Amino acid sequence: MLRATLTDDTFYLNLGPQHPSTHGVLHLLLRLDGERIVECEPIIGYSHRGHEHMAQQRTLSQFLPNTGRMDYLAALMYNHAYCLAVERACGIAVPPRAEYIRVICAELNRIGSHLLWFGAYLLDLGGITPFLYAFDDREDLLAVLGEITGSRLTYNYCRFGGVARDLNQAFCDGLEAFIPKMRRRLADYHTLVSKNIIFINRTRGIGVVDADTALAAGFSGPCLRASGVDYDVRRAEPYSLYPELDFEIPTGQNGDCFDRFMVRLQEIEQSLRIVEQALERLPEGEVKAPAPQHPTPDPGDYLFTYESARGRVGIYLVSGGGRVPLRMKWQVPSFNNLSVLPSLLPGTLVADTIAILGSIDVVMPEIDR
Amino acid sequence: MEAEASLHELKRLLDDRCGSLSWQEAEPALCGYSHTIWLEVERLRCLARVLADSGLVLEFITAVDRGHGLELVYFFSRPAAGWRLKVALRTAEGQPAPSICDIYPVANWQEREVFDMFGQRFDGHPDLKRILLPADADFHPLRHDFQAGEQHDGDHFDLERD
Repeated sequence: MLRATLTDDTFYLNLGPQHPSTHGVLHLLLRLDGERIVECEPIIGYSHRGHEHMAQQRTLSQFLPNTGRMDYLAALMYNHAYCLAVERACGIAVPPRAEYIRVICAELNRIGSHLLWFGAYLLDLGGITPFLYAFDDREDLLAVLGEITGSRLTYNYCRFGGVARDLNQAFCDGLEAFIPKMRRRLADYHTLVSKNIIFINRTRGIGVVDADTALAAGFSGPCLRASGVDYDVRRAEPYSLYPELDFEIPTGQNGDCFDRFMVRLQEIEQSLRIVEQALERLPEGEVKAPAPQHPTPDPGDYLFTYESARGRVGIYLVSGGGRVPLRMKWQVPSFNNLSVLPSLLPGTLVADTIAILGSIDVVMPEIDR
Repeated sequence: MEAEASLHELKRLLDDRCGSLSWQEAEPALCGYSHTIWLEVERLRCLARVLADSGLVLEFITAVDRGHGLELVYFFSRPAAGWRLKVALRTAEGQPAPSICDIYPVANWQEREVFDMFGQRFDGHPDLKRILLPADADFHPLRHDFQAGEQHDGDHFDLERD
């Protein structure tokens, strides 16, 4: 280290944009001193498709399919968030059964997103087995969701005023098998990974973000909760059914990679609880209320926030009174979560970069929009 | 009650340190924030300092272009307190706004995005450059006068630039 302060032997390394551990097309320009990082500049925008611009060129209904293509791992949650935002701005009522179905699907989607993250994260750290387990479970889940949504990833299931179709027998049977299996697997994951000394050594005390730094950096979601802040939009600004449901907000203490890992695994359990409660109380009735073909909010601006798998999604809608919005901003959680890297990485090893980046759980198409 | 008390305290603090501001009440159950503060560009940094000292977080920055200058919008909130402030200011064509990224680190990328999408400059930003569009793009796609299609003839971007 002394040598590094005397002479400049640093060199640049491009990590990505094509690299399996960058979870999409993320490009990290690293300045290295041997194995240690001196400087990091994330370069993003490779999958920028202009969703906000598209939203400002079409009616609110026409934009609905776009929502699932931002965060493709939490497409149902983005669907749900967008519908809730438009329904609140336009005063569209939703039948109770539809809202229950939406919450069930959103929480299943959260489990699916965390499962994919879990598998991919362990793969980043060199463990192949957990990946196979996680994808096995996720496959069951995708099959169940596919029964009613008709798609695997880029769902477009929610509608203004409800959902596209009612639950069917195959969905209910699939879910009945999935929940106990997922619980057994969760126990396996803890045995296999959480108590694994190699895993613990790779993640504990690595990439520590304390609560103040996390808040100043605009963190939200599991990353913020791992730093010990129990902020969850479902609690802070309750929407949909969440005030009636009984669930906990898992938090960590140290804000390191290990805590971020544990928070997500615990959230899978909480999401299972929510799904069970919603299924138990599922009311009978319609799943779609009549809504205008092209809802038009009164002139003004509307901000709706939603807790997605990666944190707070904010949909800021500015209406001039026409069918096409004047402005639609999507504040996405990964954008802020990723922006902490330039201050977090210096001084760490390249191998830890992978551990830290993975633990933040970024989805690039969400960031790039 | 606690939320109201903390909001009242904040009002007093802001009046003390930044001069009186115009607060407009909003309907949180409909539009997601409790108050709008309209202010001049010069007072933004003073306000941001007070908010940061009071423990408010900056959620995001964006802009709205209605065709006559830009409207910059900042959303601040206190985690879990259940209220949110919208701070809005207008900039004339070409007029820079002060950067607040030394006060709120999260503003760094947020301001870059507003610059990228709207061409708004921020004085004092350490590295104000494009963030989502390629570095050699010569347009700002969320501006009022932007027409999609003209710029995208396939070979607009010089991919060999580096």
